[in-house]
Amino acid sequence: MQPKHKILVIDDEEVVLDSCTQVLASGDCQVATASNGAQGLKLVAEIQPDLIFLDLKMPGLSGFEVLERIRSEHPLMVVIVITGYATVSSAIEAMKRGAFDFLPKPFTPEELRLIAKRGLEHHRLVQQTVALRREKEMLRENFAAIVSHELKAPLGAVQQNLYALTDELAEQLSDDQKERFARLKTRLDDLLKLIHSWLRVFSVDINKLKETFQPISVADALAKAVETVQPHATRKAIEIQPSVADPLPRVNGDEGSLTEVLVNLLGNAVKYSFPNSKVGVRAEAQGPHVLISVTDTGVGIAKEDLPHLFQDFVRGQAQPEGAAGCGLGLAISRRIVEVHGGSITVESEPGKGSTFMIHLPVAQAASESRPTPERKV
Amino acid sequence: MSEPKRLLIIDDDPDFVAGIKAILVKAKYEVDVAYNPKDGFQALKSKSYDLLLLDVMMGRGAEGIMIARKLGKDPILRNLPVLIITGIREQMAFLFPGQAVHPHFVPVDELVEKPVEPKLLLEKVQALLKTAEARKAKSQ
Repeated sequence: MQPKHKILVIDDEEVVLDSCTQVLASGDCQVATASNGAQGLKLVAEIQPDLIFLDLKMPGLSGFEVLERIRSEHPLMVVIVITGYATVSSAIEAMKRGAFDFLPKPFTPEELRLIAKRGLEHHRLVQQTVALRREKEMLRENFAAIVSHELKAPLGAVQQNLYALTDELAEQLSDDQKERFARLKTRLDDLLKLIHSWLRVFSVDINKLKETFQPISVADALAKAVETVQPHATRKAIEIQPSVADPLPRVNGDEGSLTEVLVNLLGNAVKYSFPNSKVGVRAEAQGPHVLISVTDTGVGIAKEDLPHLFQDFVRGQAQPEGAAGCGLGLAISRRIVEVHGGSITVESEPGKGSTFMIHLPVAQAASESRPTPERKV
Repeated sequence: MSEPKRLLIIDDDPDFVAGIKAILVKAKYEVDVAYNPKDGFQALKSKSYDLLLLDVMMGRGAEGIMIARKLGKDPILRNLPVLIITGIREQMAFLFPGQAVHPHFVPVDELVEKPVEPKLLLEKVQALLKTAEARKAKSQ
């Protein structure tokens, strides 16, 4: 049977190693010994002990050096220093540098047993904490998937039946009833979108996007975003006017999420614009950056709202009829832009409109070695 | 008119199934339903279908994907067109970084998102059936 605990004793005095082994070794406790710091470090890596007794005063690598190396390579390792100086100051110094406790020489078997027991108990707690933290992290990461399924599945089922019923009853329903069905669908759609946004904010590690960054065309992302928002603009008779510099250097990033940011900004511009107005979108190179700006002539943003605009759950006060949202769009956008090493800013005047600007760093290698391919219009 | 096409839905959510089955039945398809992967596979083995509508997230995870994989290995069933129906939004690619957004499970599949508009559903079904027929005609 595997012993339950592994203890390593690092001390240059043979007698200490022997007595520690004698006192501590038992059925559920295995004791390894090292007579100098270098050998001790080797054993730490090899056997991954639960607890280390470390002599501070050794020839060669000093106890402090060994302690430092252990702490940097195995930050969770529990180390108890043995101090032959019988000076409190060196023991305290060791504890400042991460030792869990100290044992002054000479010590009785009883003292050694007691302090070893405490050390092992501490090790158990540390391990437990680590396990709990890992579990919490996994829960957070999986939360999105779980909640998403649990909430969205029933909503999806309801929505699906609404679709089917609208279709089946098409001939019997009055215009008013059809209108109400359509409104139900919209409400459900909004709810699904809302759940999605919340999940994004609370449980998704946006930094993971970086793992799949590649040089992408801002023009393509912009074209996709315009296409997505166009129907909403058309409904309000708002004209989206894109102006994209050609050629435009590529940026390093994730096209899907950058498109999402642009959809967000364009969607806001349309949402907060008055009917029959224009929304401008520009993309151009500006020094080491690509600057994307979205300009509307809508309601604008009050000065006191500006500083909080990119925080979670903040929504501007002035909203034209029918503008709905959860106040997360800009917060998500900011996070996505920042992960891309860029920045997002806003200038606005109430009653006149707003301009949102995104600066994204130009992709280094790609902009030199690979020219932007011809854009089809 | 020719024989009605036979479709099989494998999805563990009876309410959702009711919602798509109604649309398909109204469009004159013959529709069978299996509410779990096991019954679904049984049905596929015992009867011949022209198309499978498959839910991805069933039971304790992506059991639908297991079915799709199993189909891909079956010499006969691998030719069955599959319409994957999923609640996983495209943006969920965030959750599975590095994975294809619309992974192709079997060579002949299409993917729609839950809930699916009747028009889109019927279009996808028709398109898949047509492709499958064309392929069959070519191989004969």
